[in-house]
Amino acid sequence: MIVTPRILIRIVAIVLLAVLLQLSFFSQVELFRTSPDVLPAVVVSLGLLGGSLTGAVTGFSVGLLVDCLLVEALGATSLVLLSVGYLAGLYRERFDITNSLTPPLLCMALTLVAELSFAAVQLMLGVDAPVSTLVIRDLAMKSIFAFFLGIPIYIGIRRILRPALIEDRAVRQRAQPRMIGA
Amino acid sequence: MYRKQVRRRRAVLALLIISSFALLTATYGQQSGGLQRGVSAVFGPLQEGADRALKPARDTINWFDETFAARGDKARLQSENQQLRTKVAAGEVALSENNQLRKLLDLRRAGELPLGLTPVTGRVIARSPTVWYSTVTIDHGSGSGVSVNDPVVTGDGLVGRVTSTTGGTAQVTLITDHTSAVSAKVVPSGIQGVIRPEVGNPSDLVLDFIDSSKHVQQGQTVVTSGWTARGLSSFYPYGIPLGRVTQATIAEQEASQQVHVRPFADLRELEFVQVLTK
Repeated sequence: MIVTPRILIRIVAIVLLAVLLQLSFFSQVELFRTSPDVLPAVVVSLGLLGGSLTGAVTGFSVGLLVDCLLVEALGATSLVLLSVGYLAGLYRERFDITNSLTPPLLCMALTLVAELSFAAVQLMLGVDAPVSTLVIRDLAMKSIFAFFLGIPIYIGIRRILRPALIEDRAVRQRAQPRMIGA
Repeated sequence: MYRKQVRRRRAVLALLIISSFALLTATYGQQSGGLQRGVSAVFGPLQEGADRALKPARDTINWFDETFAARGDKARLQSENQQLRTKVAAGEVALSENNQLRKLLDLRRAGELPLGLTPVTGRVIARSPTVWYSTVTIDHGSGSGVSVNDPVVTGDGLVGRVTSTTGGTAQVTLITDHTSAVSAKVVPSGIQGVIRPEVGNPSDLVLDFIDSSKHVQQGQTVVTSGWTARGLSSFYPYGIPLGRVTQATIAEQEASQQVHVRPFADLRELEFVQVLTK
């Protein structure tokens, strides 16, 4: 991905919108007793489109913003999301995305990784209350939601960042009509 | 060229990881810093706008979830209704006696707020996305007289307390957050304990550290105990309803000195709350 100032503004807008939507909408919505968490899916999509550096930096930024808005200890969410973004980017750099199911499946898998990592960080920091086994159901449901929400999120972000994507640019150039005999 | 890129990428990654650990070390267990308050203040109006704009969509999705949940609740509610009918009759007798006694003692009417507290009604504009933190943001802050440690209630019962404020917003830590502990009393038996959450299960609280020689009964009501001792006092005034005892086996009470309580307030679907300001 070629990050120009205009593309950077778009990425910042995506990050802000995602955080705002998560805290004001998705966290307050309940489906099967669980609220969807779209932030890992957004970071994974950015990592898949922009590479490991973009994934890590946006993951860190999203985490920092969430922790600031929730007035929680800074760094925990950043650490988890930067890892997830980096892993998604690393996948993109090593393998080609040939199947349309790859992005949502990665969203699902890496959301599970993010939720498990966040639980591990919290348990290491110390949880002052007993932990219910329903946490496992919550992790599983969040991952399943990430699969279904990952599809529109990936497509949407890809569309927004399209001018910066090298592959899409090459495809567009190839598709330009040529005048025969000119 | 490629090696240089890889080296730069690794350096940035290392820098971000180190920054995360540094931030975590610096801010864990601390009060909210200037950065957090500043960001909250800037985002407060945006969150409020987004909350209002997205309410119809949110309500539609929640309606589906509630419809599924209601099917499961039907049988439980029918049996609970039968039990409540008998309790209502006993309660009405007690209420009339209570009213007479209150008039005699010149006490204030039941349901009124504790003395010296003014309610500020706020709308929930944001909520934490994970079960590990149970916090909500409301659209009133220090500008409306809300201050840190003020108790927060709904019409059903206690919700939590204010843990951070900006001019126009306040962060409320719910009683289901793992850091929460509320001193509570079972009525009418008077058994005291501490209400603690069970992480991941917002419809179940644990009344811990109860006296194992006295037995709590299923169906009894739990309220805040509002203690005061040696100049220190609880954040929560006496008598705010907390929940109803749902599981109270004698074996569990004797072994682990705890019973399970279902909170009166629906902590998963909060829309309006009242902050009891001093």
